[in-house]
Amino acid sequence: MSAAPADRLSPAARRRLTQALLMLGGLAVAIYVLAPFSWLVMTSFMHERDALGVPPQWIAQHPTLENYRTFFDPGGADKTGTRAIVGSRAAEQTLPGMANSLIVATGTAVLNLVLGTLAGYAFARLRFPGKSWLLGLYLGSRMVPGIALIVPLYLTVKTYGLLDSRTALVVTYLTFTLPFTIWLLKNYFQAIPRSLEEAALVDGCTWPQMMMKVLLPAAAPGLVAAAMFAFMTAWNDYLFAVILTNTIAAKTMPVVVAGFATDVTTERTLLATSGVFAVIPPLILAFAFQRLIVQGLTSGAVKD
Amino acid sequence: MSAGRWTAERSRGVGYGRPSFAFLLNAPSLVVIVLLVGYPIAQSAWISLHRYNLKRPNVFRFAGLDNYASILASDEFWSALWITAQFVALVVGLVVVLGIAIALLLNRPFPGCGVVRALILVPWAIPPVVNGLMWQWIYDSKVGALNGALFALGLIPEYRGWLSDPTSAMLALVWADVWNMVPLAVILLLAALQRIPGELYDAARVDGGNAWQLFRHVTLPWLAQPLLVVLILQTMSAIRAFDVIYVLTAGGPGTATTTLTWKTYLTTFDSLDFGLGNAYAYTVSLLTLALALVYFRVLYRRGEFEA
Repeated sequence: MSAAPADRLSPAARRRLTQALLMLGGLAVAIYVLAPFSWLVMTSFMHERDALGVPPQWIAQHPTLENYRTFFDPGGADKTGTRAIVGSRAAEQTLPGMANSLIVATGTAVLNLVLGTLAGYAFARLRFPGKSWLLGLYLGSRMVPGIALIVPLYLTVKTYGLLDSRTALVVTYLTFTLPFTIWLLKNYFQAIPRSLEEAALVDGCTWPQMMMKVLLPAAAPGLVAAAMFAFMTAWNDYLFAVILTNTIAAKTMPVVVAGFATDVTTERTLLATSGVFAVIPPLILAFAFQRLIVQGLTSGAVKD
Repeated sequence: MSAGRWTAERSRGVGYGRPSFAFLLNAPSLVVIVLLVGYPIAQSAWISLHRYNLKRPNVFRFAGLDNYASILASDEFWSALWITAQFVALVVGLVVVLGIAIALLLNRPFPGCGVVRALILVPWAIPPVVNGLMWQWIYDSKVGALNGALFALGLIPEYRGWLSDPTSAMLALVWADVWNMVPLAVILLLAALQRIPGELYDAARVDGGNAWQLFRHVTLPWLAQPLLVVLILQTMSAIRAFDVIYVLTAGGPGTATTTLTWKTYLTTFDSLDFGLGNAYAYTVSLLTLALALVYFRVLYRRGEFEA
């Protein structure tokens, strides 16, 4: 940075200048991160004609909750013409889509914790032949692009009559998320002193008792982080959800939203609202568990 | 795990120390991975060696490597490969540059830096489909925010169809994907930066290093390992990018944003040519693997990465 002029300033002035520049940079980052997203949120509070206005309105001039109301009350009296038709379709699919997404993502997270805890414990504490090979196999399975698995998975799911079911989605997402869960929990378990569980075992706890009473409570942050990542992955997936589901019996939010997005007759404001719905749960999780997310993401990626 | 501990554990006769117990614990995960990744990979390879089009579902004829031969002989493949290379290079390059810049900024204390560090998670939390949808409107040719903002600032004389021109469609797609991906890079790099011992900088300053030299000789080597992680993760996710392409450009205009992943999807689910589609999928997998190996080798050789 401009070394020559800054050299002439007093140290205090230089520090203030640096602080000002840093704050300016911080502001730029905040705008970069927030501006696109806030426009989406803003659109969800606009009337359709305002959303289609030129030039675009940065702040809704006639803010309304009408779009949100449409989702909870599709048959509301104050709608006319196309809004009633398009709006009712949007409204019909969004809330069931949210329910499907929540069920699928929660199911994926829970199964991840159960299977991941068992395998993670084995990798963290036990020595067995083929250990590093097996861990490599798990992690290597994440290298396979989803697009390479989709056809056989589709055919398999079809054979078992599980097309358009939430079960098929949970099992599919389990395979993507499990390797990372095992890796993450292995690291968390390793960080817990062995003496804790040895004491419990010496005191006469069985292995399951020791896990429930000692190790898992101590590894709680890791469990929360692992559950969150699994939830997020399942919540975000589009490719598998769109191939494996057909109807609102199992369609998840990304499928519902993408369905509207590629439908030219959809009203933008309703689509924006549906997009906001799809963002709320992951956003809440991201802020509620900010510290754990950062810890989890960096676990393994950064040397200790 | 030290051998001493292991024998101590065994001599105490605690049953949970036996290898069979480890395999029991691994059994559920292994079953899931083998059944739902291993088996599909094998089946995918098998299908890719056959003529199998759902438009003629009764024909499933062994064709050897014909599908691969026809891929390698088609202009479509080479075009998709070139477009994938551009897309991946642009996304990874921008994510690394922006990621380092933002991480360096957020590594310095300033009023409000905690807030910005929290806000950086926002794009990370947004599902790619919603991300695509959001940018679709921003780029809209009639009422989009990008047109509105650039026009208001006098930077463009008239509104443009950003997604209908091949070059700007590619850049628009890259920018949308980068926005979604940057937070992960920032988080990984910031965590690494915060672990750099301050003494390293003090020593370098005593030796008379300027800001650039400090960055080049202290910061950058320290970032080598997290950068490798970022490179691998971003390369793989850029090669796999699907949702954002589906919503934003659908591979267009023409084939301007038809990457290998999108081409695989089209071949499989639009042309319903499962045989050729699986051959495409396999080609994509092999490319991903090859790239990961190259990254590892390059960084291993330089001795800056320890597993």
